[in-house]
Amino acid sequence: MWMKDEDKLIEEVLQGIDSSFELLLQPYRQGFLTMAYRVTGNVEEAKEVCQDAFLKIFRYLRSFKKGRSFKTWAYRIVMNTSFDFLREKKKFEKVIEIQKKSFVFENSEAEKRILNREIREEIQNMLHILTPKEKAVFLLRDGEGLSVWEASKVLGCSQMSIRTHLSRARQKIRDHFEKKNLFISREVKT
Amino acid sequence: MKCKRVQRLIPLIAGDEITGSKASMIRSHLHRCPLCRGEYEKYVLLVQRTRRWLTEDRLGWEEREWQQTLKKIMSEKEARRPSIIPWPFPKGWAFALMAGAVLLITALIVRPPFVEKIGLKPRYTDDARVETLKANEEGEQQEVVSMTMVSKETGLKIVWFFNKNFDLEEKQ
Repeated sequence: MWMKDEDKLIEEVLQGIDSSFELLLQPYRQGFLTMAYRVTGNVEEAKEVCQDAFLKIFRYLRSFKKGRSFKTWAYRIVMNTSFDFLREKKKFEKVIEIQKKSFVFENSEAEKRILNREIREEIQNMLHILTPKEKAVFLLRDGEGLSVWEASKVLGCSQMSIRTHLSRARQKIRDHFEKKNLFISREVKT
Repeated sequence: MKCKRVQRLIPLIAGDEITGSKASMIRSHLHRCPLCRGEYEKYVLLVQRTRRWLTEDRLGWEEREWQQTLKKIMSEKEARRPSIIPWPFPKGWAFALMAGAVLLITALIVRPPFVEKIGLKPRYTDDARVETLKANEEGEQQEVVSMTMVSKETGLKIVWFFNKNFDLEEKQ
């Protein structure tokens, strides 16, 4: 969506046209949910986080400066809300266990859309070895396809810092791949 | 470029995070060095695979859930609306107004000279008396002493002059 359209939609939301808010979020709704899910490790919690984040976006839209990227601003809110959620509940240690349970028991429509359980398991194993910052950078760049500049805006740090964290994340994943023979043995079924 | 430096940059060049002259220098090294090229190919595979996994394994909203979420947000928004008349200023203005109010209150309490100038505080100086006292302290003999009386109601001013024998010389 063009930034110009987004500016127009933001204006409309500020004027009280609620339907424009849905249109504003529409292009990113899948990305926001996936991002929140990758951080929290649970679909229901991800939806809860998204709801909180959308409310924050709605409430602080007045302070959003025109001409800036709504995408990076909104991703920042979703990312911060996700990490705040984790921090509040002190779930860092429990996340993996919850995720493992969720592979077995969760049965919602959203879950059914996941193409392959094995892929998801690999992703979660991969993310588990990363620090929160590395995870955030890796997910924004390789998961959501944001540029280095956009990722730096989302996380509020320099582009150099983004490159450093991304490099470290890939090195760790490379070691993980090597350990599990993922380079040679198999292409995970899709 | 040396292998050690190139290998540090391989994770980034594999994902196209390095461009320009630096990238072409690395690529020319990769062309020459089979060891670095092997490492680069591994990273390229890794980046491609992880990106594909992350793209394929995405969650989506069911339309019903999405609409419910939006409805909840709208209802929360109504509930949290603070007043009928919205505050017209952004945060910066509110802060400036608050700071101004604090400064004004401080000025009224402390009463610096500018407050006196604008007439908020009456002046109680009695210059003539001070000068007389000073003169007396210095031991000077005064030839004439004056006394001024001002009527509050009419503004009439009467000045009495006394000579050193205290003989009254009245002027009006």
